[in-house]
Formats: sequence, structure tokens, C-alpha cells
Amino acid sequence: MENSPKIHLLMVDDEVKFLQTITDRLKLKFFEITTATNGSDAIAAAEKGQFDVAVIDLQMPGIDGVQVLEILKKTHKYLEVIILSGHATIESAVNCTKLGAFKILEKPCDFDTFVDAIRQAYERRMRKKFEHDQLVIQEIQELALGQSPLGILRALSKMEKDEK
Amino acid sequence: MNDAINFMNIEGLKFFGRVNASISHELKNILAIISETTGFLNDLTELAKQGKDLKLSLIESCSKSIAEEIQRGFTTIKQMNSFAHNVDVPIKETNLGDLLDLTVKLSKFLSFASTVHTPAPDQKMKPVLTCPFLLQNLIYQVLCFAYESVGPEGKVDICFNSKDDNGIHLLFSLPVTMETKDFPTEKIQKSADVLGIAITVKNSEFILWIPFSSDKITQMASLL
Repeated sequence: MENSPKIHLLMVDDEVKFLQTITDRLKLKFFEITTATNGSDAIAAAEKGQFDVAVIDLQMPGIDGVQVLEILKKTHKYLEVIILSGHATIESAVNCTKLGAFKILEKPCDFDTFVDAIRQAYERRMRKKFEHDQLVIQEIQELALGQSPLGILRALSKMEKDEK
Repeated sequence: MNDAINFMNIEGLKFFGRVNASISHELKNILAIISETTGFLNDLTELAKQGKDLKLSLIESCSKSIAEEIQRGFTTIKQMNSFAHNVDVPIKETNLGDLLDLTVKLSKFLSFASTVHTPAPDQKMKPVLTCPFLLQNLIYQVLCFAYESVGPEGKVDICFNSKDDNGIHLLFSLPVTMETKDFPTEKIQKSADVLGIAITVKNSEFILWIPFSSDKITQMASLL
């Protein structure tokens, strides 16, 4: 486990004690964790850092979990989001799934189930990224055949911008 | 009067559901903290078995946290119990201080709740003859409106003025000037009407005038 790549997690919950305890446990499992106690801080943290998976509570003061999910999915193409909430209903689960949530878990949640969900979300992110990278490589190869060096640089820069 | 009773039944049920949902959310959070803290203790034990140093301060902080959460759970269940028993007697003499105290505590389970300052319950305060459940519903609605107006970082001050011979004034002071057109909402006004309560808005204050007794309440008592 210690040799496997560290998964970068963004944990968002307004229940500070819960956030602290679950973070302590996840650190023992070699996750790299950043925490936020409200939606605005979560969005700001996601802007600054590169995260593999975000775990978001639904009910929070200010920007709620559904809004955070929507914003993060729009701005971070490969970020996988898990909803972990004590307020989940069938309606909210359907809504979050439509918005691209990887999984919806209810608090209190079995820790092993939670860790499994994070690993599955990470695998999905890596798979999607790998498939995308393959396409990029293919595109670059095609570019290299028919473009001038400057044209290739321009096209690469555009691809980099689209990446975000 | 039948309209009023119908309104009471529908709004009362909605209120009951909303409060119960917020309490269950609170209890789930408490259980989640206890569950993760005991899990963390198990993780530490496993590490100790593998020869890693076990910090006593960590064990102490875990057991302290569990004890605190159990206490928080007891308090929440006690509040839930008091709330549930509010419907036992539909109309009764009620101490406003106690009722306000419980309603504020229940409203604090809402994720968008602001900071609230309330007076300490005063047992010498003259009781009002009212429907405690509906009055609680009205105060809860006013609190929700206030929270939405000032935001989670804001502050709401509540106090009583009992100089009036016929009733008590309950004042909600907000740090922002209210648009009088927004308050009271139709639902809040209707809830107040059913209880014979008058609402006034003064700049940044909502004032509920709660009569010690009213014809509406005695009439309602005869029907329930």
C-alpha cells in the first residue's frame, strides 16, 4: 500500500469533528488530504490544487453540496466526486448522479466501503485520463505529419488549454 | 375556524417533518463521528500490534471525543422528546421563554442557521394560553426567514418585552434593515392570524405581539 501512488483527496464537510476524524483515518491509509468546511473554500481549494477525488457533504451553509458538485464537474474534467451525506434522499441521489457524482454514500458509512469507493473513483479517473491521453497522442502524431513546427506548437497550446 | 384548523394540520405536519429531518441529520452526524473515532482507535491498536508507538494523547482525545458526542446525542434526543410532547395538549398555558429556547435549539440543526442570542428562560414570566406547537412553528418560520436574511455568518438577537398588560412582545433584531414588503410572508402571517398574534416590522426588527389569551385560542380549544 505504501508503494502505491498517493490519491489526492478533497474532503468537504461542515461538521468539523467528523472531517478531522475521517481525515486522521484516511491519512493512515496513505491518502493525501485537503479539507474544506464550506462550499466556497472547496471551490477555491480545487482551483489551487490537483485532486483525484472530492468527497462532498450535501447540506452546508452557503453554497451547498449539489452546487459544489456542479461547479467542480464543470471546471475539473477528470475529478471524480463522491457524495457522503446524512441528508441523502432518493431525489438528491438521482440529481447528484445526473450531475456526474461517482457514488452517493450515506453517513454513517462503513469505512472500508468508503475507502473502496474512493479507490474505484480514482481508478475511473485514471482510466478516463488514460483514454484521453491516448487520443491526445494520436492527435499529436497526426499533427506532426501535416503541420509546420509553429503550427504544432499552437495546436499543442490549444490542447493544453482545453485540458483544464 | 375550520380553515384555520385545516391550515394548522397541513402546516403542522410539514413543520413536524422538517424538524424531524433536521434532527435525524444531526443524529447521523453524531453517529458518524462516534463510528469514525472508534474506527480510528481500532486502526491505532492495529498499528501498535505491529510495533508502532501508540500515543496516549491520541487515545485520550478519542475517548474524550466519543464522550462529547454521546452527550451531544443525549441532548439532541432530549430536545426531540420535548418537541414531540408539544402536541400532547393542543392548547395550554405556556412559558414563552422555554418555548423560544427549545425552538431556537431545534432551528440550530439547520445548515443555514445564523448565530442567535436569546434571553435565559425566566420561570417567573407570565404564561400565555396558546397552541405551543403552532407557536413554535411560527417562531421557527420567523427564525428561518431571519437566517436567510442575515446568512450563516450573521447574528440574530431575540428579547422579550413584557410591559404590556395584555401580552408579550417578542423582538427579533437583525443587523440588516428589512424590506417591509418581504416580511411577513403569507404563510407566517396566516400562522400568526390563527394564533391571534400581531406582527410588526420596524427597520431591522420583527416584533410578534403574543396575547396572554385570545378569543381565537379559546374558540380553537373548544373545537380540538
